[in-house]
Amino acid sequence: MENHSPCVPGLFEDQGGVHLLGARCVTCGTPYFPRQAACRNPHCGESKMEDCSFSGRGTVWSYSVADFSPPAPFKCDPPFKPYVIAVVDLENGLRIVGQMMNEFEEMKVGALVELVIDTLYHEGDVARTTWKFKPAGGH
Amino acid sequence: MREVVVVGVGMHRFGKTGDSVVGTKSVTELCRHAVDMALADAGVKWKQIEAVSAASSRFSGGKGWGLNGNDVVENVGSTGIPIYNLSAGCAAGGNAFNVGYSMVAGGIYDMMLVVGGEVMPKGMIQTSGVEEATDPEFLRQRCVGIPGPAFWATLARRRMHDYGTTEEQFAKVTVKARKCSVGNPYARFQKEVSIAEVLASPYVSNPLRLFEICPVSNGAAAAIICTREKARQFTAKPITVATSTVATMTFEDALPRGLAGPVPAGASFHTEARGAVLKAFEKAGIGPKEVSFTELQDNTCYYELAFPEEWGLCEPGEAERLLEAGETAPTGRMPINPSGGFVSFGEATTAMGVFQIAETTWQLRGQAGGRQVPDAKVGLTQTLGLGGNATAAILKR
Repeated sequence: MENHSPCVPGLFEDQGGVHLLGARCVTCGTPYFPRQAACRNPHCGESKMEDCSFSGRGTVWSYSVADFSPPAPFKCDPPFKPYVIAVVDLENGLRIVGQMMNEFEEMKVGALVELVIDTLYHEGDVARTTWKFKPAGGH
Repeated sequence: MREVVVVGVGMHRFGKTGDSVVGTKSVTELCRHAVDMALADAGVKWKQIEAVSAASSRFSGGKGWGLNGNDVVENVGSTGIPIYNLSAGCAAGGNAFNVGYSMVAGGIYDMMLVVGGEVMPKGMIQTSGVEEATDPEFLRQRCVGIPGPAFWATLARRRMHDYGTTEEQFAKVTVKARKCSVGNPYARFQKEVSIAEVLASPYVSNPLRLFEICPVSNGAAAAIICTREKARQFTAKPITVATSTVATMTFEDALPRGLAGPVPAGASFHTEARGAVLKAFEKAGIGPKEVSFTELQDNTCYYELAFPEEWGLCEPGEAERLLEAGETAPTGRMPINPSGGFVSFGEATTAMGVFQIAETTWQLRGQAGGRQVPDAKVGLTQTLGLGGNATAAILKR
């Protein structure tokens, strides 16, 4: 069994579903990912941050393809294979970017997708993981 | 506030490291060429320059500290004058112009040099050299991998969804831009391309293709600005700086710039660019309908369609029709980037704000040759840089 470890620690958990570790300001409701110590909304009366997690489904706001390998600090297993990038509006009010598990031809603005944790690249025998999206099942 | 005018401009033709245009010239050599040309154009002697406002490069020269203005002054001759080095990503040239403008307008100096130049490394611009989990750009590139073109491509794809823009229409923007560049002695590319050639170029980030995205270039530009009173010694017809503005993005901005943000309430795109341009209209007392032509930051042809709508030069969703009717060409009703734009020049990142001032000055003087906008009276310029930086300027004759 391959060892899995997040590509950057502290951003998500993969126990009982995918949980992105974020925060929300109780006063103005602004969601943050990754976690922030203080609210950044200039219209907010008082920063009151509470840790929370983001999970579940969202809709594709837009998407594109990395047809060529991005420069460092991007990492992937060789050889580079083009991948789809999506901007997704999660049901809980967060707009987030992530790689898609599926092919370009299957993409559509407005499509329903869900968060998954998947391998981004390997470091020795450890699979480094990140959050990605796949089409939401059953719809 | 004193009235500020442009009395001289200069530029080194844009090119790619190793080619016959820029070869192995350093950024300081490119800047020297532009500065000498601007001084000669103005009829001003170097010792008459009271201060320098320069764009800081992240990629070359500047002693590794962005001290590009110091490099230029050492090269042209150290006269002990104050030097301001400005950093604002790709908006740095625009910022340098704004600081020069503000100081002359505010009575600090009567005559200044504004300069920006760049020698770019090959390939896609690496937006962050930092490998720390606290750096948002590092997280964005390590956890996802979104090169600059992919960011633009998500915007282009969204426009296709919102307005039905086709890939052929994106290609037509490039065809128009490259047509403008023919005969522009400063452009890196000076040949027309056909729609078929653009559509045959590979995707860099679907739906955007190689010919629809500006490459990185080496180049430099310079401008001599002074008070209207001072200008009388040098020219009877200076170009007036109606205004110069700077803005940064606002919290409401809807673009996916980091890893994540709140789902926005509406379509608030490029709030820094819109902020700078609308402030320029307000401060100059000049409306979008009075603009004879615009030099905007077209890192990709998408921006030639989106920006004019975001600033009220035309109605939302109208840009494709105007493009196809020829209205964005130099002879049209809403000329965009008569120079040929970034798509024809390539981006020498921190030089671009000054490049726009030089081109706009030539247009307003009627010296733009085959790309001349007939009877150009008012020119609008705009830059956009990493970090949510933007600038705008309005020049008039």
